[in-house]
This record gives sequence, structure tokens and C-alpha cells, in this order.
Amino acid sequence: MSWQRMAAIMGVVYGIVAILPLFVGDIRFIMQILIICLIWAVVASCWDVIMGFAGIFSFGQVAFFVIGAYTSGIFAVSWQVPAVLAILMAGLFTAGMGVLVGLPCLKLAGPYVALVTFGVHMTLMPLLRGDIGIALGSGGSVGILTIPPITLFGYAFSSANIIPTFYLTLALAVTCSVVILVVINSYWGTAFLALKDSEEFAVSLGISAFKYKLMVFALTSFLTGVVGAYYGHYIGMLSTRMLELDLFVTLMVMLVVGGIGKFPGAILGAFITVTVNELLAPLGSYRAVTMGALVVILVLLLPNGVMGFWLRRSKAGATST
Amino acid sequence: MKRDQWLAVIVTIGLMFGSAGMAADTIPVGVPLAMTGAYTGSGDDYFKGIKMAIDELNAAGGLLGKQLEIIRYDSKEFAPEVVMQGADYLCGQKKVASVHAGWAGWGQDVRAYGKYEVPFFADDGSQAAVDVYKENPEQYSNIFQLTDVGIEQAKSMFRVLMALPYEYPNKKAVIINTDDSWGVEVGDTLEASFKEKGWQVAKRETVPYGTNEWGAILTRIRRIKPALIHIEIPSAQENITFFRQFIKKPTPSIISLGWGITPREVVENLGTAADGIVGEMPTGLPGPKAPNAAGQAWIDKFVGLYKHQIPAGSWATYTGVMAWANAVKNVGDAYNFKAVNKYLKENGYEGHQGLIKWDADNVLRAQAAAPVVHYQVQGGELMAIYTDPPTKAYQDSTFIVPRWIK
Repeated sequence: MSWQRMAAIMGVVYGIVAILPLFVGDIRFIMQILIICLIWAVVASCWDVIMGFAGIFSFGQVAFFVIGAYTSGIFAVSWQVPAVLAILMAGLFTAGMGVLVGLPCLKLAGPYVALVTFGVHMTLMPLLRGDIGIALGSGGSVGILTIPPITLFGYAFSSANIIPTFYLTLALAVTCSVVILVVINSYWGTAFLALKDSEEFAVSLGISAFKYKLMVFALTSFLTGVVGAYYGHYIGMLSTRMLELDLFVTLMVMLVVGGIGKFPGAILGAFITVTVNELLAPLGSYRAVTMGALVVILVLLLPNGVMGFWLRRSKAGATST
Repeated sequence: MKRDQWLAVIVTIGLMFGSAGMAADTIPVGVPLAMTGAYTGSGDDYFKGIKMAIDELNAAGGLLGKQLEIIRYDSKEFAPEVVMQGADYLCGQKKVASVHAGWAGWGQDVRAYGKYEVPFFADDGSQAAVDVYKENPEQYSNIFQLTDVGIEQAKSMFRVLMALPYEYPNKKAVIINTDDSWGVEVGDTLEASFKEKGWQVAKRETVPYGTNEWGAILTRIRRIKPALIHIEIPSAQENITFFRQFIKKPTPSIISLGWGITPREVVENLGTAADGIVGEMPTGLPGPKAPNAAGQAWIDKFVGLYKHQIPAGSWATYTGVMAWANAVKNVGDAYNFKAVNKYLKENGYEGHQGLIKWDADNVLRAQAAAPVVHYQVQGGELMAIYTDPPTKAYQDSTFIVPRWIK
């Protein structure tokens, strides 16, 4: 897909989202969902870059999200670092962690990378809840319950000021998405794709697998860490319950629904998944089963997700005309 | 876009936003409980009590002449944004008149629901939740905890374990607890209590939920031969698997499961094999033989409805709903939240076992009218053997020395 088309789809999606407060701005619950959608859209997009474009089966995205959230929370609460600075520091720290996790993955094939990265996810909860986490300021099993909101020029962006906070989140999501768009349409993105399609051939052309794989870990971890940190300041509290499988599975569903490797499908996937999930809420305990069944049907009918389906349709349309 | 595609979009948006503006001739009551995920079992138990109370109120003509309508919200696994969305959905969008929860976020819920004035009842049993409340009691004056904190429940467990008519063969204890705030709170308190009493905590193990392979820990336990093993895992499967593996080669130890004895799956799965295990239920109504006729009628009705004895949380949430309804009746307006909250705080509620009152931190501390009930499994069923405070044997109950000790 050309970058112009990617940009156009992103523009339409974010454009529609941007005008929604005109209609639902006074319904806090829906505004909350929109903000969370924007946050998940970035996390899912980052996951898409590393898995869909670079072909690295990383299952560590939720872990990086939580690392970013906790890092910023700890900086802000234990060290009184201003929120904006804490978010940037959290992004950099998470990028460093991403590189650290990425290093052993360079020597590993697909499923083993998944094992290592999911191992990071699994070890994070006991680490944050245990003595080390408590010593670092994670709040142990209680979590951190007093994270200050982001304050810019004396104005606090929190759930109490939902519409300004929504637009700040939108700005962050658009910025992150544009960064992803630029990267995947640059030489870096071509290198990611080349390494994914045939690593040996790409290396023979002078593409450094070491450099670009670490780069993709660093970039996606940085963006995920920044968004995780933002989440912490927006919600105002953190707990290790984010590391339960619920969020992990939901993000994976977003990727599948949007189409893996079909950016900006992940953004669409985030909005579709959250909307359908909320629409199914009246089903109560049957919601998860229904959602699971819908995903199975979707995977069977649209193996490349909504974006893959749309691209196929538009290609078929162009051919017929 | 084709016409049918536009139609689909309009229907979707309509479904999403349509319910927000519905006028109601009922009083909506919010119920955020886990309906999916790891905490579904406890969520169901809490809901049984809430539904029973709402059905009773509706059958009696409703509240202030209006029927009550339950609006549920799936708290899933209590991730921060889910807890927050629950508060905004129920209080902000659905404009509920009260919120009745069970486990609700262990402090996160206090922040989320404290933004509103709607009376909020939770069973966090957590000091962290109380600490958040203490930060700003005025702002959080709508938060009412239905059970005492883990620290106090652990002290109650210890008092009863020491009061049992049984001579421990040694002073060695093993404590196993989960790695969440509840487990750590109880584990730490018990460890301190044992040490203070001159006991040796020969092994303290903190395990994650989902631990079902106990071989390594049991090997250590069999070497230690403790007089008492306390497990604090508020989930059924871990307790069941522990006991099944323990009983293959038991040590002469009292097995105390704490709160973990109360999920119905434990006694229903283990049956009479569990005879002898002890545990506790906070804010409980002793059973199956209740302390008075009113309590007995309630238990009989509960058993008739749900075909099993009372699990943890059902009576507590039932009492919470009734306390709120009583406050609303006295105030005369379900939406005068400040007055309802004030009434609850000042007057409490005359429950099955007497007057219950919330303390200065809006916590329903263990008290005679809402005691911690200590059970032993006898004949494959939970039998109340002690209540606390004051720590006393319950009516004509008897403690049975477990068969694996004999």
C-alpha cells in the first residue's frame, strides 16, 4: 500500500474520531472509551510494526507498555519528576529495555522469540509485586494509586477534564502513528520487510539484521513505553492486573481484526474491537464466548483482517474498471 | 459507500449511544462484578446476595414506589481503566442511584467511584483501599466497605486458631499466600502474630494464582511437620489441588484455608474428604444453623433459591443493598446522595444479627452484628464453629480433630 493511501486512511479514521466529541462529548463513559481506543491503537500499531512488518514474533508489547507506565509512575511519585519529563524518560528507559530483550532474540527463530518475549511478560508481574518492585517504588501488589496527571502550562489533563484530555491523547496517537507511517515507508521500513521476507537475501544486499532488528525493538518499545506512561498519568493509578491475559488477548484480537502487517489496519482494529466488545457488554458472561466466536469467523472469512479485505476489494474494483 | 453500509454504520452508532438517553421509571442500581475471567466465581457469589435483595425489595413494592433495576458491568480482571470505565458507565452514563460491588479494585475503585457521590459498596477487604479513603475522607464519603481489612481478618483467624480446643504438637507453622495485596496482607499479619506468640514460621511461601503443582512445597512441609498450615489463596482450584496432593501423604497439621474455604467449589469438589479443614468468612451470617429465626429464614430462602449453603460475600452484599434501601427510605430521595451517605454513616442498619455500623473510615469492621465467621468442614459442608469478635465458640458447635491427625 502506498504511503499516501495509508495517510489518507489514518486521516479519515482520526478525523472522524476528532469530531466525535461534538456528539458525545458530554457522555464521559464514551469519551473514556475513545481515549482508551486511541491508546490501544498506538500499542497495537507498534506490535504490528514489529510482528507484521519486521516479522519478529514478539509477545512483549504489553510488558513494554507496563514497563513504560510503571517507570513514569515511579519517577513522578517517588522522585516528583514532572509528568511530561517522566513520560519521555519512561519512553527512553523502555526503549533500552526493548534493546536488552531484543539482543538475545537476534539469535533466535520465530517461536523462540515469542517464548523469550512472553517470558519477559510473565516475569514482570512477580518482579513488580515482589521485594525488588517494592524497593523500586512499584507499590508491590497494591500498585501505584497516586500518579499525578499531566500538567502543561498549569493545566491538568486528567479524566476530570475529559475533552481536553481526549484531544491531547489524539495528538499523541496521531504523532505516534505518523512516526510509524514515516518509518515503514522509509529505507528502514523497506529493510524491515526485506529481513522479514528473506533474511539471507537481505543480508547479502548489505542490510544489517543486527542493526535493523534492534532498531525495530527500540522504536516500538519507545513508542509503547511513551503511551504506557501516558496511560498511567491519565488513569492516575497502576496495578499489575494490566499483565493479566485479558489485555494481551484483546490487543492480539485488534491486530487480527485490523490485519497483521497491514498498517494502519491495527488502528481500525483497535476501534472495531473495542466498539464490538462494548456492544456485546449486555451479554454478560457470554460476551467473551461471543467475541471469541466472532474472531474465529472473522479469521476464516477475512484472513488478512479488515484492511486486507478492503485492499482486496479496492484492487478488484480498480482491475474491473 | 453503499446504502446498506451506511445503514449498518447508523445502526451500530445507534446501538452504541442509544441507551444513554433512555428515560427511566425505575431506580437503576449499578453492579460492577467480574462476569468473565479469573474472578467470575466470586463475582457470581456476590451477585446472588445482591439479586436476592433487589428481588425482595421489588416484590415488596420497590423503593419509594419505584422498581429497582439492576445494571451490570463486567469488571473483568480489574485493570485500572476497566475499573474507571465501570464508574463512568454506571455513575456517569446510567445515572445509577447506588453501586453494589464485591471485590472491586482494592483501592483503584475508591479513586474511580470517589469522583461521584453515588453510594458505593465494595468488599475490598484491603488496607490499601482504606489508605486511599483516608487521603480525603470528605471526597470519598460515598465509599462503604462491607468487610474488615485483611490485617484484621488475619488477626481474627489467628485468635481462633489459638482458641481451638486442640493441643498443637509443636509450635511450627507454614504460611502460603498469594502474591496480591490480600494474600500478602494476611500472610504478613499471620507471620507477625505467630512469631509474637513464640511460634516458628518454618516456611513462608508467596505463590501466584494458578499454582496447582505443590510437590516441591509439600516436600518441605513433610520434612518440617508443622502443627499448622495456613493457606491464603482466595480462589478454589489452588486450595483443592493443594489439599488433594497434601492428603496423599499428610502431616499431622491443622489445615487452615482462611478465606479460601468459602468458594463453594472447595466443599463441592472435595466433599467429605475435606472434613477437618478450617477457614473464615468475613461479614458473615453463621450457618447452616443461624443464630436467630430471622437469620435462619434468610439462609433457608438462600438455600432454596441457589441450592447450596452461603458462600462468602452473598450475605454481605445482601446486607449492603438492604442498608442502602433503608437509608433511601429514611431520606426519601434515592438521588440525594449526600443525605443517603450521611444517613448510612450515622445510623448504620439493623441487620439479621443486630445493628451494623461503619467506622470512621467507612469500613464495616468485624462486629457482633457482622462477625467474622470461622468454619470447619464437617460432613462435607461448612459448619460455623466460631464467631469473632468476641472470639467465642458458635452455639453448640464442636471442633473435630482432622482424621489425618488421628
